[in-house]
Amino acid sequence: MATRIQFENNCEVGVFSKLTNAYCLVAIGGSENFYSAFEAELADAIPVVKTSIGGTRIIGRLCVGNKNGLLLPHTTTDQELQHLRNSLPDQVVVQRIDERLSALGNCIACNDHVALTHPDLDKETEEFIADVLGVEVFRQTIAGNILVGSYCAFSNRGGLVHPHTSIEDLDELSTLLQVPLVAGTVNRGSEVIAAGMTVNDWTAFCGSDTTATELSVIESVFKLREGQPTAIVDDMRKSLIDSYV
Amino acid sequence: MPPGGRKPKLPPTFAALSPFARSIIFTAASASAKRPPRPHAAAAETPRQGQDDMPRQPPKRARRAEPSSDDEEEEERGSSESEDEEEEEDSFGTSESDGDGDGESSEELETVQADFAFFDPKPTDFHGVRLLLKTYLDSKPWDLTGFVDIILAQTTVGTVVKLADDDDDHDHHQGQGNGAADKKNSNDDDDLFGLISVLSLGRYAEHRCIKDIKEYLLSVCADKDAKKQLRSLLEGKASSVGLLVCRRFVNFPYELLPKLYDALFDEVSWATEDEPTKELQDSFRFKHYLLVVRMLERKTPAKHKSKSIKDDDDDEPVIYPKLEDEIFHELSSWSFTFPIRSEQSAQQEMKNYKEMGLVMAIKAEAIPKFRKKLEALVSE
Repeated sequence: MATRIQFENNCEVGVFSKLTNAYCLVAIGGSENFYSAFEAELADAIPVVKTSIGGTRIIGRLCVGNKNGLLLPHTTTDQELQHLRNSLPDQVVVQRIDERLSALGNCIACNDHVALTHPDLDKETEEFIADVLGVEVFRQTIAGNILVGSYCAFSNRGGLVHPHTSIEDLDELSTLLQVPLVAGTVNRGSEVIAAGMTVNDWTAFCGSDTTATELSVIESVFKLREGQPTAIVDDMRKSLIDSYV
Repeated sequence: MPPGGRKPKLPPTFAALSPFARSIIFTAASASAKRPPRPHAAAAETPRQGQDDMPRQPPKRARRAEPSSDDEEEEERGSSESEDEEEEEDSFGTSESDGDGDGESSEELETVQADFAFFDPKPTDFHGVRLLLKTYLDSKPWDLTGFVDIILAQTTVGTVVKLADDDDDHDHHQGQGNGAADKKNSNDDDDLFGLISVLSLGRYAEHRCIKDIKEYLLSVCADKDAKKQLRSLLEGKASSVGLLVCRRFVNFPYELLPKLYDALFDEVSWATEDEPTKELQDSFRFKHYLLVVRMLERKTPAKHKSKSIKDDDDDEPVIYPKLEDEIFHELSSWSFTFPIRSEQSAQQEMKNYKEMGLVMAIKAEAIPKFRKKLEALVSE
């Protein structure tokens, strides 16, 4: 299910949070509403951890992670690093890396299997991504934008990319990522997808300006709607018929 | 390169700069190429205007083209070219106070040419207006989206300031042949430099955003007398009160301010005659204007003696980021200040000041005086 939330009147929820299948990071904000929204949805499944990175609140754009690990920029302080190591589950490897492009969340987009990265990323960083996050790494651009981490958001089940992505690019990316992709917007026409929303395999959080249309696109491409039996049967039916023929 | 194609292309990062951005970075054309095409550019633009029949003067140092005063055009356009005061030849090696040279050239400061134009608010201005209004109240959540929506819906009274080429249909754009032109069009829609509007508290009383604002103002008002006055304006006299909203980037050229306020007050008086229904006409007959602005108050200096004398003497007790707020404050019938809880900007020169909110009410009769004083202040 997709939920609409705000961080202190700001609809860019993907800037102030990082959601994966194993944990959720949330920025320390003035009011508790933001944190409570995440807690309400996720508390029984995964830990929701309040943190800052480098003393800032823009944690969603500075770090990148999935269920296997979390990569932090060199600006992360030792205390923050320790706090995260303590709070996250043991199987999540927390690693601080030395990368010139320190806004890792803007440069790298990943799910549990594949990562798309900024074309200018260090080779060393690429290796870290492959090791720590356990993913296959592809250097890509999205609609001509090198900040792939900002202009797309994808989970293991689907992805949303910059609205100006061409059909050819969409097909190419979809083949690389092995998930269905759709070009769309969030927060009432904002093209910066990853800043406006954050998603994992079973839930998504979008800025409160997101229109009903955008929300329904998000729910359908990320397959978030409560599993209606008919949907599952339809999927199965296609594979059954395939094997018949 | 056709003379009309001299407009500098904004780097994509511009849209992300906060309202407190200190400098605009443009990749300007070379100094020598800039001067001659200007008159041609002005001429080339005229046929593109379509319904706009006011002449554009060759805008070398011209401050503005006069807006047509009597026609009621759909789009009221006043444009003014804002140039850096320095000659381009002198700018080499000069360091301005806020030219911290981030971006390409660090030693050489380039002159920025910009044509600003006034437009009626449109629905596509949503993100730009929202950005300007983000810090209107404090950080507590309120219906900002609804507030932006009613400002954009009121096209008869209200002005947004953008770069002059933004609204033009790119089909008419001669010889640009720029593949990126389409992208530029959609990006530029968000580059709002300023906004001014006035909302009748009576007309919009039922909207959640106005209720949120009223609640907020009453909650932060500490002064008993001011609170009484505020309450009467917000409740009893709401139908004759206009909430005057003026928001702009810090580096907005102050020369445009008299034009901006003239545009607003003229639109208000036209609306009292032109609106389709009597109810709407009456909703613009304001007796009072209410303003919610920010100001910087000097913190009580803790170490009075240890600082050098000149620091204390030169410090103003109050700094108004928007210069017309000082005039409004002088002419206001009452006002009160309240502390701002959200993060203060941590700048070196501002560390002795803390940001406060300022709410003031002005009688509509004082507006002509305000306009004169603003004109005088700007032409100093």
